[in-house]
Amino acid sequence: MNGAMTFNSLLLPGILWPLLLVCLMGFKTTRALALPLTPWAALPALVAAILLTPDEAHWHFPGLLLGSEIGLDAAGQVFLLLAALLWTVSGVYARGYLRQSSRREEFYVFFLLSMTGNFILIVTQDLFGFYFGFSLMSFAAYGLIIHDRSVAALRAGRIYMILTVVAELMLFVALIVSAGISGATTFETLRTGLAVMDPTDRNLVILLGIAGFGIKAGLLGLHIWLPLAHPVAPAPASAVLSGAMIKAGLLGWLQLLPLGLITLPGWGTTMILLGLTAAFYGVAIGLTQRDPKTLLAYSSISQMGVMTMAVGTGLLMPHAWPLILQAIAFYALHHGLSKAALFLGAGLAGSSDRWQQRWIWLGMWIPALALAGAPWTSGMFAKQLIKTHTLHAPAPWDALLPLLLSISALATALLMARLLYLLRPAARSPATAPATGLIAPWAALLLAVVLTPWWFATAIDAHEMNTSLVLDSLWPVLAATAATCIVLRLDLFRSHQSVPAGDILVLLSHTFKLLRLSRHTGYVPARFSSGWSALQTGILTCLTGLVMSAKKMLQQMENYLSRWNVALLCAIIVAVVATGFSIGFIGINTH
Amino acid sequence: VDDGMNGNAWLPLMVVGSALLPGLIIFGLPEEKMRLRTVLNLAGAFAKMIFTGWMLWGVYHGYQYEMRVAFLPGLDLVLRADSLSLLFIALSSVLWLLTTVYAIGYLEGSPHRSRFFGFFSLCVTSTSGVAMSGNLITFLVFYELLTLVTYPLVVHRGTEAARRAGQIYLTYTIFGGTLLLLGTVWLYSLTGTLEFSPQGILYSLDETYYPALIAIFALLIVGLGVKAALVPLHGWLPEAMVAPAPVSALLHAVAVVKAGAFGIVRVVYDIYGIDFAATLGVTGPLAALAAATILYGSLRALTQDNLKRRLAFSTVSQVSYITLGVAIVGPLATIGGVVHLVHQGLMKITLFFCAGNLAETLGVHKVHEMNGVGRRMPWTMAAFTLGAFGMIGVPPVAGFISKWYLGLGALEAGEYWVIPVLVGSSLLNAAYFLPVLHRVWFREPPDSWPAMHDAARDFGDKETAWALLLPPVITALLALFAGLLASAWFSPLEWVQLIAQRAFYHP
Repeated sequence: MNGAMTFNSLLLPGILWPLLLVCLMGFKTTRALALPLTPWAALPALVAAILLTPDEAHWHFPGLLLGSEIGLDAAGQVFLLLAALLWTVSGVYARGYLRQSSRREEFYVFFLLSMTGNFILIVTQDLFGFYFGFSLMSFAAYGLIIHDRSVAALRAGRIYMILTVVAELMLFVALIVSAGISGATTFETLRTGLAVMDPTDRNLVILLGIAGFGIKAGLLGLHIWLPLAHPVAPAPASAVLSGAMIKAGLLGWLQLLPLGLITLPGWGTTMILLGLTAAFYGVAIGLTQRDPKTLLAYSSISQMGVMTMAVGTGLLMPHAWPLILQAIAFYALHHGLSKAALFLGAGLAGSSDRWQQRWIWLGMWIPALALAGAPWTSGMFAKQLIKTHTLHAPAPWDALLPLLLSISALATALLMARLLYLLRPAARSPATAPATGLIAPWAALLLAVVLTPWWFATAIDAHEMNTSLVLDSLWPVLAATAATCIVLRLDLFRSHQSVPAGDILVLLSHTFKLLRLSRHTGYVPARFSSGWSALQTGILTCLTGLVMSAKKMLQQMENYLSRWNVALLCAIIVAVVATGFSIGFIGINTH
Repeated sequence: VDDGMNGNAWLPLMVVGSALLPGLIIFGLPEEKMRLRTVLNLAGAFAKMIFTGWMLWGVYHGYQYEMRVAFLPGLDLVLRADSLSLLFIALSSVLWLLTTVYAIGYLEGSPHRSRFFGFFSLCVTSTSGVAMSGNLITFLVFYELLTLVTYPLVVHRGTEAARRAGQIYLTYTIFGGTLLLLGTVWLYSLTGTLEFSPQGILYSLDETYYPALIAIFALLIVGLGVKAALVPLHGWLPEAMVAPAPVSALLHAVAVVKAGAFGIVRVVYDIYGIDFAATLGVTGPLAALAAATILYGSLRALTQDNLKRRLAFSTVSQVSYITLGVAIVGPLATIGGVVHLVHQGLMKITLFFCAGNLAETLGVHKVHEMNGVGRRMPWTMAAFTLGAFGMIGVPPVAGFISKWYLGLGALEAGEYWVIPVLVGSSLLNAAYFLPVLHRVWFREPPDSWPAMHDAARDFGDKETAWALLLPPVITALLALFAGLLASAWFSPLEWVQLIAQRAFYHP
């Protein structure tokens, strides 16, 4: 007990340590001291996450913001563990990855800030602390995404920023409406408040909550920034973006939605449908990609779809929520570790050493197989945990979901096969820089991927490995292998076109880009001559016209208002009206 | 109720005098007596802080400080320190000290400094008077005095643009003042008193007077709205940004704009009384006007390339948060509005200090010249970033707290339309601040800065002078901690809750 208390007290220093390092980086004299410590900045939080006792770690800070609660339950501990591990591994990896970068210090500043935000949002149980952490992480991650300053990175950053601001505002409204009605300042009371709230208000809060956090979690339709941003960021940043930060959206849902309290059939079904569609849509678009990192981003959309689906089943079955929550937390851990390992591995694939290249490629099989849910991997357990609970879902989901989940495992296996094909040693031209210093953190992460199921053996012991389970997880992998062999053998799809990253955004962004171009130069590209492009050009011309005239109108209005005689006129009008009133009033009085 | 024990009646006068006396002496000082001038300025600023701290302690423990001098038959000049006036006084004394330090650094080596600091002190004197006025006539006197003593500051540079701006400023404010006077006299003719009191002075009036009261309200609000920059009376504010940076900082954060907003608080709560104003039906239109100003100011800020001009339109928008909070009936909205008096002050003064640093150190005046300045002036731009995020309303900077309480207050009062206005304003704030931040931190800096061509001041390797760097860093930290520690006993929010509890809602 006493020992546990001591370990719990490690939590706060662990979370504030990266913030302290940022401050140290601000001064010239202490920068040299802080820089070597930076890659290890998440280590104290990792130690705290491993050692602390969930539910016992709890602090109340009445003076902070509008009253802060800090604490962790078992699910929160898993999220913190995942985040801290990924930030540690990526930090160490970044030291080698950015050795030659002239913007290394800049990278670390934004890295540390996003890390702090990520930790804060996990450990705070009040609305304000969470919103603060979420904002800090979201805004600071912009610096990671546009690190390269390439055209693609800047574009991805712009779209990311717009959606981030939209998400911030949606969440602001969701939080203020729910807090205003229920008087809550912590998520616990907020959820209880939501459960008894008037359905109209509740639906508004839930809609904005699902969409606002959905932007971060890559919810279908709001996912457009993800396949743009994840590939352009440096590999260690992609790893934390796709492994840890994306989970902040999921955690937001878990905190905000009244899960386990009431049944919300409409929202539950919506989440299940969105999740399932994303699970397959992500794979479908991902399969057409040639850039491994874009493929991985689409895989994240697909995997987050599975978790979205699981949250949806939670909305249908409040009584089963504690178990579903456990399953979701484990799935998040499994996906976060595997996905980060794949992103970091993709960043290594350009090693100049042939032997090394071969070994790295073989190493990639571990997280790839885990994601596909191969036997004895974390993926098998994660998928099985989710599947078990869906068996008890109301009809027709109890029959549909297990089947669809198995098919989704097959789809993921196909996607992973495509990834390994893209990354095969023969296909990669060796880079100039040898990948020394990157292997060790990556190998550590691979080890974590392998060990995860055994570490959490106690949580999943109910589902002992029987033969049917192994077979159940084996056939998607085998089927995918067979399919891949056929495709390679027959040389199908050799000349297929990849769907541009960002899929549904493409039309929109084209129009925006043209809009910017034509606004500056009046230039409309000639190659857009087909009917489709004519439509775009039409929309574009209209938009340009609208923007220009709105700008002009505003300017004219201001010019008009700024003339002091207008102000004078206003003043006179007021005086006249006032006098008129007073005459009327005297009239009233004299009668 | 602020009617506890009587404290030292001389304290309010000492607060006013702590700025007036150094000001008058400085007028007589020759230009080259720099050291003496600095000592006088700082001594005055520190004295004011000490007196303010004393009164804060006293008012918290239920004392009241009042000084009354006969002025006209039946009308006294009253200086009274209650909880609301102390909020404004505390803000002005802290920011006066910082702005003085900043101005000393900013104007180093430039001409007419005695004139500048003299009027600067008078400006603070009249602001203190505005804050501590115990009735509308005292308020009016200091309010007009403020107009007159800020004019020389606006035209300080003596350029053609400065003179033009000064002329526009005077035209607007004199007219506002006239309407305010008209309204005040009319009000006095109906009530026979102009005393600020917790539930207003009008609720006992007969219903036949209501049309006249509505007209008087319009006159008073238009008169005050000129300084509070309510659209369409805001035209002078973007012009006045030709003034030197410390003046802009003071104008936008503490003195002129805030005097208008503070006056609106006084009129709505202490002359009309919020419940009576709601009965009259004047709060709705006022809230609508404030909302329109919030959105219009932000829309205009979007297209400004001149940094100070962009900030000026941002002020137009942000100051109306105060008016909006005042006009929504309910304690939470009041808290949000009144606390924004302090929060907006801290954030906006930071932004203007930073703009001044860019202009003075690098010669950068335009947004498009700000590429990569974050690398050249990291501390200044870090302060700027905090201020900008505060304006957008991102926690934990103070602006979030104001926005949160305004939103809660709107929900409490059933005024749901306010939420979209707040969201729209945040969106626009993000749209005109975030691209600037992108330039500052992520674009490559140019080979040479504009100032290197005329080489007026050379700072070498240093970011800038200490006197220019410290004030924005301190105000940015204050804005940060006002939000981060919003529920601590020493926070502005706690004090405003005390005000709402004592003066406005449970008298």
